[in-house]
Order: sequence, then structure tokens, then C-alpha cells
Amino acid sequence: MGASLGLGQNTSYTPDVRWQAPVGATARKNPLADKPEAAAGGKKLFLRNCTECHGIEGQGMVKKHAADLQLLVVQQESDGALFWKITNGNPDRGMPSFSRLPELQRWQLILFLRTLKPVNPPASAEAK
Amino acid sequence: MRSLRPLLAAVCALAFWTPARAQEAPYFVTYDHHLEEPGNLEIATSTTMGVPRSGQRFFIAPYMEFEYGVMGRWTTEVYVEGQTTSGDSTIFTGWRWENRFRPLKREHWINPVLYLEYEGLNEGSRIQKEVVGNAPDFGEPNSELRQTRAHELETKLILGSNLHDWNISENFIVEKNLSANEGFEFGYALGVSRPLGRMASGSNCRVCRENFAAGLELYGGLGSTNGFGFHDTAHYLAPVISWQVGDNASLSFSPAIGLTHQSNPVLLRFGYSYEVRGVRQKLARLFGSKP
Repeated sequence: MGASLGLGQNTSYTPDVRWQAPVGATARKNPLADKPEAAAGGKKLFLRNCTECHGIEGQGMVKKHAADLQLLVVQQESDGALFWKITNGNPDRGMPSFSRLPELQRWQLILFLRTLKPVNPPASAEAK
Repeated sequence: MRSLRPLLAAVCALAFWTPARAQEAPYFVTYDHHLEEPGNLEIATSTTMGVPRSGQRFFIAPYMEFEYGVMGRWTTEVYVEGQTTSGDSTIFTGWRWENRFRPLKREHWINPVLYLEYEGLNEGSRIQKEVVGNAPDFGEPNSELRQTRAHELETKLILGSNLHDWNISENFIVEKNLSANEGFEFGYALGVSRPLGRMASGSNCRVCRENFAAGLELYGGLGSTNGFGFHDTAHYLAPVISWQVGDNASLSFSPAIGLTHQSNPVLLRFGYSYEVRGVRQKLARLFGSKP
């Protein structure tokens, strides 16, 4: 974790307040919640599709303005909200839609995201 | 053969190297609503082979495609194309520049994309990337076809939906040849496809269901303002399959069956595409500026 807190980690990431999942989407449950072994496939999908902007450990690339997926502000989102964000993307902020991935693969991605260790942003980042 | 080994090794390295992208719909003609990721460049080469009717000649029409994600909702693409007709000659048939714009930010039941393309072609063009208007005449020699230049504007309304794991796409095409008084020509393309695997395995398998997508396309011309309808038009029904052979590369194949006498009996299409990620950043680094 120390390495991921070093160069390039986007701990100063602040969510786009206009990018909010609707209530109905937020309440959706992960159909793979009782299959933690599916997170291995989620890791593979993450390495294929997400690391270019979010980094191998999900720490977020500062230059890409990508979310640090380890932050509490991300980890506290419900599975349904993350599913909605992966599905819709936020094209004006550079996050593409991944609706072309089968639904179960998007849920697998979320299983893997939950394995990233959540951290609070350091005080220096909060001060910004 | 020995001299080809470095080339083969380079091709294999390109095909099986580096991180990947989501499985794309396997269509050759139909566009879905997904655009290229911003800053990425997709380089693709495809070939359309026309199996002739009696009295016609076999042709091979290759084309290269460079697709770049300018912004999250704007993708631009340049094509160059040519063709070889058996017993005739090989000619360069022209180039195309297309742009796709996605007006809506979020995913909806139906997602529209607006398409605008300029084509600087000659009448020898055979790639049949879209089928519009009335069926072309396959009887004339290339020496004559290449003399007739066409400057064309093409627009499409692309509608795409993802229903569960199915992609359903509809394209409505209007084309205007600015070099001839042919009126406005119309065409359509419909596609439905699905990845063969719903879940990703934890292993790095290549030949497993999750790396394949299959579907069906239906496309054809609808005449022009001089005569709208199915009369003297070409239509094709085409199964399609794609295989993500590497993390950034995919192979596609489609045997299209001609449905009318004006169609080729069979069009065989082969495609290979390779995605280069983060081209904008790479170029910025190359020229020493901040991305």
C-alpha cells in the first residue's frame, strides 16, 4: 500500500457531484455477492480495462484525473451505484461507458473493487 | 521463409501483448453506439472478398482504418481502400473521413449517435462498408471505373441498445454524391450480437467463450429519391463472429449471403484490429509537452 500512496496516487480526487446514480440503481444488489471467487475474473477485467487510468492498484492516475478507487468516498458507494457508474461512464470527465461488457462481468469488476483496501485521503490532500 | 520469421514474430507480438479492452460488437457494417475511448487509436485492416455470379469477376477489396477517440463523445476515423479484380488490375479506390458524435451523456434504452462522413472515391470501390442506393455494376473494367470520381457525403443515424447482454443496433443511411445528379441514396444496416461468455474466468485463457462474440447483420440499399424502395437493390444477411486474440487485438469473420439477384452471392469479410492505448499521452511525451 505504501507504494500506491507514492507517486501518482490521486488522493485529491473529488467526485463529480453531477455524476450520481439514481436511487433505483443505487439499491441494486450484486448477484455475485455470494461468489467471492468470481473476483478473480473481476481482477482480470480490471487489469484489461481500468488500469490505464486507475492504476494497477486502483490508486488513480493524477494526470488522467481518474478516481482513486481505494478512497473511502469511492468504497462507501453501494454496489448498485458503482454498477451504474461503470455502465454509464462519465464521458465529459474521461470515464468511458462499459455497457458493452456483459452485466455479470461488470458485477465481477465490483467484486474486485471491494478487495482494494479502502483508505482515507491524507490530511495534506484534504487540505487542498 | 527464414526471412519472414522476424515479421511473423512481430505480428504475433502485436497480437498477444499488453492490456486489453472490452469485447466489441463483431459487426463489419453496422455501427453500435459505443465510441472509441478518448486518446486511444484503433488500427484495423479488413478485406471484403466478392464471390461472383457467372459472367462477373472475383474481387478482393482491402481497406485500412484509423479510428481515434478525440473526446468522450466524439470519434473520428480515416479509411484508405483499394481493390483487385481477377483478370483485371489492382487499383486504389479512395479514402473516407468519418466522424461520430454521441449527443447524450448517459446510457438509455436507445442510444443515438450521429454520423457524418466525406468520401473521396472512384467507382471501383468494392469494400461495401455500407450498401446504399441501387446495386453497383460489377461488369465494367477497373480502367474505366477509376476514371469516375465521386465526392460523397454520407450521414447515418445510429441507434444502439444493450439489453442484458445483447447488443441491438440500427443504422439509417442517407448518402449524397456531390459529383453526379443521383439524388439522395438510402440504405440501412441492422445488427444483433452477444458475447458468448457472460462471466470472465480468472485465468488468462485465449480460446475460451468470454473472448468470442457472435451475431447477425442485415444490410442493404433502399434506392434513392429518384426511386425509393427495394427495386434493383442489394441486400445481405451476414453471420458475424469475432475473437479477441490478444489483449489489444481481435479477429473478425463474416460470410454475407446475398439476398437479391443484384447482390453478390457471397461476400467474405475478414478483419483484424489492434488498439493502441493512450496515443495522446505518448505523442505529448514524444514532443516534450505535458499531456
